[in-house]
Amino acid sequence: MSNPIKVDIWSDVQCPWCYIGKRKFEAGAAEFGGDVEVEYHSFELAPDTPVDFDGTPVDYLSQRKGLPVEQVEQMLERVTGIAKSVGLDYDYDHVHQTNTVISHELIHFAKSKGRQLEMKERLLDAYFVRGEHVGRIPDLVAIAVELGFDEAEVTEALESHRFLPDVKADVALAQEYGIQGVPFFVIDGKYGVSGAQDASTFANVLAQVQSEREVV
Amino acid sequence: MDAATLPLPVITLQPLGDPAAAACEGDFCEIPDHHQQAVVNRKLDEDNV
Repeated sequence: MSNPIKVDIWSDVQCPWCYIGKRKFEAGAAEFGGDVEVEYHSFELAPDTPVDFDGTPVDYLSQRKGLPVEQVEQMLERVTGIAKSVGLDYDYDHVHQTNTVISHELIHFAKSKGRQLEMKERLLDAYFVRGEHVGRIPDLVAIAVELGFDEAEVTEALESHRFLPDVKADVALAQEYGIQGVPFFVIDGKYGVSGAQDASTFANVLAQVQSEREVV
Repeated sequence: MDAATLPLPVITLQPLGDPAAAACEGDFCEIPDHHQQAVVNRKLDEDNV
């Protein structure tokens, strides 16, 4: 009987390393070759960000961190290059810096329909690649409808904030684990892996967990 | 919130993997040195530098 390795992943929609780490984890899991069950959890990197931040990600980072614009541009250029190396075409010229809490609610809505992974991928793509807004309900409803969800049902779910307690529960669990940064991977509820590791590292970690299971 | 005021973890995890892997904390996403070097190497490979 199959007993997949459970991997719980804490991640934010506007976290560049989370999308890069997702691709590297997927490659590592494929290299590992065994059964893996993935569940995503919400993490808000900047919960005080306004829904409609008036400016670019460069403006946002330079204002929040007090960094020179040129330095922020160089940082984003480097991240864009690393994303490219895993097949992701980040387009920071069109990114809408925003508050991601409602996008996390949408991911929980999709999870309730058994389609969490599909929604997670679509929202990361929306933010980093397509330049879509992932903080406003009408934009998120449009994305959900494109994926085939019922417009009235998803609108009601987001407007009522029915899934907000699930988002906050994820954030609270992250605190219990002591998670300070994302992406963060909890494997079999016992092992913690922080950051966008190389694919081979993920494969080795999964193999190690599998071998320890077999010893027990 | 700085490290000194963060709540202590309730659930203990065994760390695996490279502790220096890239991650985002707060609204800032650091780029580890080895990643920066990898980008420089790639640009050199592409004759962009």
